[in-house]
Amino acid sequence: MTDVSQDKMGTNWIGLYTMVRREVSRMMRVPIQAFIAPWISALLFIFIFGFVVGGRITEIGGHRYLEFVLPGIVMMNVVNAAFLQSSSAIYFARFIKFIEETLVAPLSYAEMIAGSLSVVVLRASVTGVGIMFMGMFFNATHIESWLMFLFWIVSVSAVFGLLGIIVGLWSKSFEQLNMPVVFFLTPLSMVGGVFNTVEMLPEWLRWLAWANPFFYFINGLRGSMIGFDETPAGLGVGLTLLLLVVLGGTVWRLYSKGYGLRE
Amino acid sequence: MAIPALSITNLRKVYARGTVAVEDISLTVPEGEFFGFLGPNGAGKSTTIHCITGIAEPTSGKIEIFGIDAVKDYREARRLVGLCPQEFNVDPFATPRQIVDWMGGYFGMRSGLRKERTDMLMERFELTAHHKKQFRELSGGLKRRVVLARALIHDPKLIILDEPTAGVDVELRRVLWRYLAEINRDGKTILLTSHYLEEVERLCRQIAIVNKGRVVREGTKDEMVAEPGGLEQAYLVATGAEADHVAAQ
Repeated sequence: MTDVSQDKMGTNWIGLYTMVRREVSRMMRVPIQAFIAPWISALLFIFIFGFVVGGRITEIGGHRYLEFVLPGIVMMNVVNAAFLQSSSAIYFARFIKFIEETLVAPLSYAEMIAGSLSVVVLRASVTGVGIMFMGMFFNATHIESWLMFLFWIVSVSAVFGLLGIIVGLWSKSFEQLNMPVVFFLTPLSMVGGVFNTVEMLPEWLRWLAWANPFFYFINGLRGSMIGFDETPAGLGVGLTLLLLVVLGGTVWRLYSKGYGLRE
Repeated sequence: MAIPALSITNLRKVYARGTVAVEDISLTVPEGEFFGFLGPNGAGKSTTIHCITGIAEPTSGKIEIFGIDAVKDYREARRLVGLCPQEFNVDPFATPRQIVDWMGGYFGMRSGLRKERTDMLMERFELTAHHKKQFRELSGGLKRRVVLARALIHDPKLIILDEPTAGVDVELRRVLWRYLAEINRDGKTILLTSHYLEEVERLCRQIAIVNKGRVVREGTKDEMVAEPGGLEQAYLVATGAEADHVAAQ
């Protein structure tokens, strides 16, 4: 008779931690791509739009233009960092096939997803905090509500981390992997209220802001930082939670079906 | 009755594009066995292994590892299996030590035990001198050793080796044979696929030959070797290659 234990496994915390350790190690192989590039780009945004151009713009809602713009710049980079982290990690692992290391291991789908998202939140947070530090040099970094600030950073990075996983599983080429950034993330974040309020837009164009989810993310973060939020109370939080549930459910379903993972 | 290390019943695997990779495979590997799983390229060996280990999803049929359903209770089943795949499915920028250590981590091993096992395997497969190099910088033989060490890190009870000596030098092949024979003597069950019949003859006690997604011959190594023409002839007859060869002449 075999002596193999058939006890059910609990959560594989060491496996989960290993996924994080491994992905952090991969991320730290490309620090320029992961952190330096978004920080330089954010610094240029802060300098040009906030400092040079912003010097000629009057206050918005009682705040300097740079203070108004900074949350949008943070959010744009959080979104990019989150999406690029999860999509490239999963695509690279599929492309090289070392995703099979996790498939043959006793890791549940929830652990695999949680492992990916933990690194997503970590990278997005470090990127965002770095930009906040830059903002401090221009005396533009304020936090009105730490709780809401954390909510927006963590939940929005998780939303785009999940979206990145879906794209990483779907993509069959690097071209496809980059498509959402070029056609979706960058344009929508640019017109999502980073540089302007809704009132600054012509009336016939305002619907575009209201229909753009980035508008709610940027306004939510802005509200937590300087207390200026154009969206109805709770709408952005509700939308974000809804997206988390829908995307989380989709990713769970894809993992359990083995889409893009198993042969 | 003893629970077999591996039990496959009517396994069928059809890929998304309609290719039938495994038609109907059933086999049983008793615990402690050294089992040869032979067949020509495209016979369904690797697909069967992928279904056992979770890389592929079986279309139908049942796979049990030490009595545990490999699909339904996949986490419990995977704890018991170590896979050395045919392809190098490894992060090319990671070092051998990282690759082995991470795999131990995925299997839930604590850091002290991981370090102890990693050190032992690095030593055993003569990887210590190379442990800081990136995987992509290693020679083919060294890469094969890393993948093998990775499969063994969690001390699995069932070890699946998919052509582990393909493209390696004679020296490593012999090191590997000695090690496999040793761990098999210690009670590990081994499922080996190989195109080197000499290797199979030297190591395995039971053999199954597959062709076109079905088991076409199963028996002991001794009975196949005892036949006229030995194991090679038994293999060629079972896979139909002998008839093709005669027809061509």
